[in-house]
Amino acid sequence: MNPRRIRLLMWKEVLQLLRDKMMLPLIFVMPVMQLVMFGYVVGADVTNLRTVIVDQDHTATSRAITEAFSSSGYFRIVDRLDSEGAIRPVMDAGDAAVAVLLPPGMERDLAGGEKVALEIVVDGSDSKTASVASGYAAQVVASFERERLTALGAMPDGPGIDARVRVLFNPALRSVNAMIPGLVTMVLMLSVSSIMSQAVVRERERGTLEQLFVTPIGRAEYVIGKVVPYVGIAIIQTLSVMMVGVFWFRVPFYGSVWVMTLGLLLFMLAGIGQGLIISMISHTRHQAQQTTMFILIPTMVLSGFIFPIESMPASIVPLTYLIPMRYILVIARSNAMKGAGFEALWPQFVAMAAFAVVMFGFGVSRFRKQLAD
Amino acid sequence: MALITRKHILKPPAPAAPGVAISVQSLTKRFGDFTAVGGVSFEVGTGEIFGFLGPNGSGKTTTIRMLCGTIAPSSGGARVLGLDVAAEAEAVRARIGYMSQKFSLFEDLTVDENLRFYGGVYGLDGSRFTARRAHILKMADLIGRENELTENLSVGWKQRLALGCATIHEPELVFLDEPTSGVDPLARKDFWELLYELAASGVTLFVTTHYMDEAANCSRLAFIYRGDIVAIGTPDELRSREMRDRIFEVEVADTEAVLAALENDADVREVYMSGALLHVNMGEADGAAALLDVALARAGAAGAHASRVEPSIEDVFVHLVTREQRERSVI
Repeated sequence: MNPRRIRLLMWKEVLQLLRDKMMLPLIFVMPVMQLVMFGYVVGADVTNLRTVIVDQDHTATSRAITEAFSSSGYFRIVDRLDSEGAIRPVMDAGDAAVAVLLPPGMERDLAGGEKVALEIVVDGSDSKTASVASGYAAQVVASFERERLTALGAMPDGPGIDARVRVLFNPALRSVNAMIPGLVTMVLMLSVSSIMSQAVVRERERGTLEQLFVTPIGRAEYVIGKVVPYVGIAIIQTLSVMMVGVFWFRVPFYGSVWVMTLGLLLFMLAGIGQGLIISMISHTRHQAQQTTMFILIPTMVLSGFIFPIESMPASIVPLTYLIPMRYILVIARSNAMKGAGFEALWPQFVAMAAFAVVMFGFGVSRFRKQLAD
Repeated sequence: MALITRKHILKPPAPAAPGVAISVQSLTKRFGDFTAVGGVSFEVGTGEIFGFLGPNGSGKTTTIRMLCGTIAPSSGGARVLGLDVAAEAEAVRARIGYMSQKFSLFEDLTVDENLRFYGGVYGLDGSRFTARRAHILKMADLIGRENELTENLSVGWKQRLALGCATIHEPELVFLDEPTSGVDPLARKDFWELLYELAASGVTLFVTTHYMDEAANCSRLAFIYRGDIVAIGTPDELRSREMRDRIFEVEVADTEAVLAALENDADVREVYMSGALLHVNMGEADGAAALLDVALARAGAAGAHASRVEPSIEDVFVHLVTREQRERSVI
């Protein structure tokens, strides 16, 4: 091990990187694009649902309920219709996703102590929107009802069941709070495994790898000189995504920096191993890129990054245990959002450490062996 | 298991004879079932320009890689500059230079950065590096282009810079794997001048090439065919020892048609293009000239001008390769 040679290898790696027109965008544009995409588009909550009101009561109460919907922030009143029959054409045309039907005689019946059925019609063609919309609508009606009864001085202290859902850790139910920690792990995975494999394949393609090994540079020196700059880059990327998350998207961080760092480091080792393995099975940079994409899709779909594992079919769930990102996602989210530490996350840490040891160990040993043949 | 084999390989640690730069004994490399190099043995003397010739895929590069210590032999062994290549690979690599046909420079680094990198890798200190850098820039005619990106240099410049980087630490032995491939004839000639200068300063050169005119520049040659050395000697030795056949140079108008006809002619041993002319090997028979005239007439080129020539290295090469192909296909 000669520190000077390792320093030289790192120096030339950084120089090459700074001059690479294909690599630089990969490093700096990709995380930004992903932040924008996932932070704003995918992670965006359902708001501004286009809503039509069918008010057949025309009283202060029905107007108050309409007002409760429109001021909730989730619903945007786009039209007022006269009859129930007018709802269907509007929904078919996609002009409204929700319709609220206020029946005639509502105020009178309520005052008379009768039960009033308030009908909410939801367009079910987009199941996510439909379930979110009906949930919000139920909340709006429930809180309206509570306020009404409180004003009458009736129910709150009286008998009866009052179910109140209290959301822990993410009271505003902002998807972005879960998305940013996930994004940090995704960016980390992509940069170490994709950029690392690109750099190794490039060296082999150009024949410089062959040249390096007829100099006194040892295999271990080469591996260190190659890996360290990309670890540095990965750390910078990770930190910048975290900064944007905390300061721009206002994602709260309740966790411990040490828990997060250890988790990410283990995950990074697994990513480096994956990058080295990709570089060994790819002859060209193009192939390396395609192999990365090939792995990326199951990683995104099965890790819980986009779709919750709880809602996957039972037959698919065992597969998710094979995806290293599954574990780091739990660590990153639980730590950032709930402040969970080692005592709660140790199973994930054990799994993550096992993946790190196996993937990094296999990658490095195969890489060194391949260099020897 | 590997260790036991290694011991057997190491058994003859004969002290390097003075003046021997490379000594190879039964060097073998197998990749699975494929034998890339099948037990070759030879010696290269200090200060020689040793030419290593053979068709593509015959084991030239594999042999060089074993001699540089970048891959381990399957069996057999080699001593380079008195060191065992398998056991003392790092020490060997510090004392040799290597230049491949790809020139293997960092194309996205500048001339100066390439020199700094290789100078540093070979552990050159400040004053020695300054001196070597100046020398190489002068030798490669790159003064004033120190800060240019290597990818923007012409092929000839890249080639000379690659030689400079490979010899920045003043190695005693330099391996050159097809160092002139893809370079124009004039630049090739200049490059060989540089190689002569290196050899004159006592550096041993081990060169592979497929340019036969370059082979004649070597002090000694070895022909490798499918992993075996089939002939070895000085260019003159090879021409006289391996080649008793008579070679004729024939000038015809329609070379392709005549070539095709002569290839199937029983009296003709070998026929091939040499530049714009045909070279015809008529074997060792007396009266070859008369037989050739008849054969040419059969090929529709009666009266074509044919003259007997001294066999060139290319003639020897073609002859050896054809002979090996014939013998091996019989087996």
